[in-house]
Order: sequence, then C-alpha cells, then structure tokens
Amino acid sequence: MLSIGGSMSNEKLEKLLKDLAENQLSDGTSLSIEMFDGDNAVACIKVEDREEFPIYMTVDEGQILCITYLFGDNQVDQNKRAEMAEVMLMMNVSIPLSAFSKIGNQYIMFGALSPSSSIGEILHEIELLSDNVLDAVDAVSEYLQEAA
Amino acid sequence: MSIFKKLITAVRGGASEVGEAIVDTQAIRILEQELRESKIALDEAKTSLTAVMAEKMGVDRKVKNLNEKVKEHEGYAIQAIDKGDESLALDVANKVADFEHELNIQQGILDGYESKVTSLKKMIRQSERNIKAMDREISVVKTTEKVQQASELASAKYSGSNSSLKSATDSLERIKERQQKREDQATAAMELETEEKGEDLQDRLEKAGIVDTESTGASVLERLKKQKENS
Repeated sequence: MLSIGGSMSNEKLEKLLKDLAENQLSDGTSLSIEMFDGDNAVACIKVEDREEFPIYMTVDEGQILCITYLFGDNQVDQNKRAEMAEVMLMMNVSIPLSAFSKIGNQYIMFGALSPSSSIGEILHEIELLSDNVLDAVDAVSEYLQEAA
Repeated sequence: MSIFKKLITAVRGGASEVGEAIVDTQAIRILEQELRESKIALDEAKTSLTAVMAEKMGVDRKVKNLNEKVKEHEGYAIQAIDKGDESLALDVANKVADFEHELNIQQGILDGYESKVTSLKKMIRQSERNIKAMDREISVVKTTEKVQQASELASAKYSGSNSSLKSATDSLERIKERQQKREDQATAAMELETEEKGEDLQDRLEKAGIVDTESTGASVLERLKKQKENS
C-alpha cells in the first residue's frame, strides 16, 4: 500500500520530468531538470538564473510536492526568530499557491498539487514558487543575520 | 495518540540534531509497525465479519422456517377447532407454542448477530480510514526524508561546497545582480541595434546621393553657385 519509493510513483515522476523538459516557463525561461537520487524518487528542478534556489519535486499517489529550501536556522537572527515565525505564519495565506514550512533545521517554501495536474498547472506552480521564494527571502531578510 | 501528534513526534525527533537526518527513523518504524498491525486487525475484522454474516444467514433461515411453521400449525389448529377436535387442536397449539419458544430464542440470536455485523462494519470502516491516514502520513514523512537527503546531495554537488552555509540573502543578491546584468545587456544590445540601424540608414542615404558624404566649404560654395545659375 505504501507508495513512496514504489515504482508507480517513480514512473509518474519520470514521465512528468520528460514533459517538463519539453516546456519553458511563460516568459521563455528554461528549466534544467535532473533526477536526484538513486531511487529516482526526487527530481531537482533549476530555473534559469535562479540556480541558488532549486526546486525539489516528489510525486506520490496523494500529491505532487514542490519544495525549495530558503535558509537554515543558523542564518536566522536568534533574537528575531519567534517574530519571523509569526510573520511567516501570517504571510502564508496571502502567498499564492505556496506556503512556508520547516524541515528539520531548514526553512522551506512549498507548493502541493494534485497528482492529476496538467503540465501547464505544474509549470505555473514552478514559476510561482520560484517567484515566491525570491520575494519571501527578500521579505524576511530583516530577520536574517547579516551575511557573514 | 492522533496521527498528527505522531507525525509531530516523527519530524521533531531529528530536528534538534543539526545535520542529522531530520526524520526520526524510529518514529517511522513505529508508525509502520502500527500500520501493519492495523492492517492485520482489519483483515481479522473482515474475516470475522464474513463468519458472522454466514452464521447470521443460517439463523435467518431458521427464523423464517419457524415463522412458516408457526403459521402452518396455527392453520392446522384452526382446522381442528373447526372440526370440533378440541384435543387435536390443543396438541397442535402446544406445537405452535414450542415453535414460538424456539422462534424467540433464534430471533434473539439473530438480533445479536445483526448488531455484531453493524459494529464490525463500523469498525472496519474506521480501520480503513485510519490505515489510509497512516499511509498518507508515512508517505509525507518519507517524502520529507527523501527531499532532505536530496538537498544534502544538492549542496554537495552545487558549487562543490556546502551551499546551505551560504546565506539566502547572498543568493538573492546574486540572483538580483544577474537579473540586472541581463537587463543591462538586453538594454545595451537594443541600443546597439538601434545605433547600427541608424548607421545603416546613413550609409544608404549617402550611397543614394541624398545625403552628402563630405560637405566642405568648397562643395557648399559649388552647390550654392549651381542653385544661383539655375534660378
């Protein structure tokens, strides 16, 4: 019953990547896509000129998940940590299609789609997520430590 | 414990240890174990539902049979009364009473089975919902783990160093700079193109003799003289 790592999901992801590779974002920006791990369970998508914030994509029967890592705990100004978390929570609703979250000690932004989404919808998601990530880092930069 | 609470335990487990796997594999193992147990329990519930239903069908038949027999013998008793055979009627009535007694017992058993079937079905539906939810949560936790692993791989691959140490604001600055550079390049390219087009036009005008190639004092004087002659 478990679908993660199951071959069905992998086939789905591989098919998705093939379709994605044949497309560009609405402004003609190209995507570089590669499988990430040996199990072919995670794909890494890099938007041209924004390679610093790659998008990781996984597919299972429940959802297509797109995740981008923003920054680690170590980059957060520890005195402003709680305030930042609150700001992120409050911003969540207004951010189109993406949301903040945290995996381990990494702050992330993610979007989830139905597994039956069209390639156009997925491209739209990638484009929005990529834009949102830049806006989000910009927006919360005041809570981050000065660059070392 | 609710599944969400278990999930919190699972993702929290490794979070305190920087650089460690973020998903508490122990918590996943526990979740998976519970999932397996739930599935076994579900199978057992289904098996016993089948058994109970089979037994219920048997009792059902008995009840129907007894009902028919009661009706049938009631008919006989009436016929005996009609014939004035009081003692036969009493014997038949005794038989009916026996049947009714047995019917009561069987009906009680049937009712018991019915409520057991209902509760088993409810339990099965609940287990199925739980299993689905657990499946989903485990898959989310595992996806998270995969992504975390992938990200570690990525930071190792990307620019050869640990990119997670690079600050997000630095990255953003770099992206902005690159964007600006691109825009500048595009603007420059456009200006250059315009200029080139302008030069091109000048060339063609000169070749066509519409624009003078080199206008000197002498040539101007010559032109003015010609104009005067023609006028």
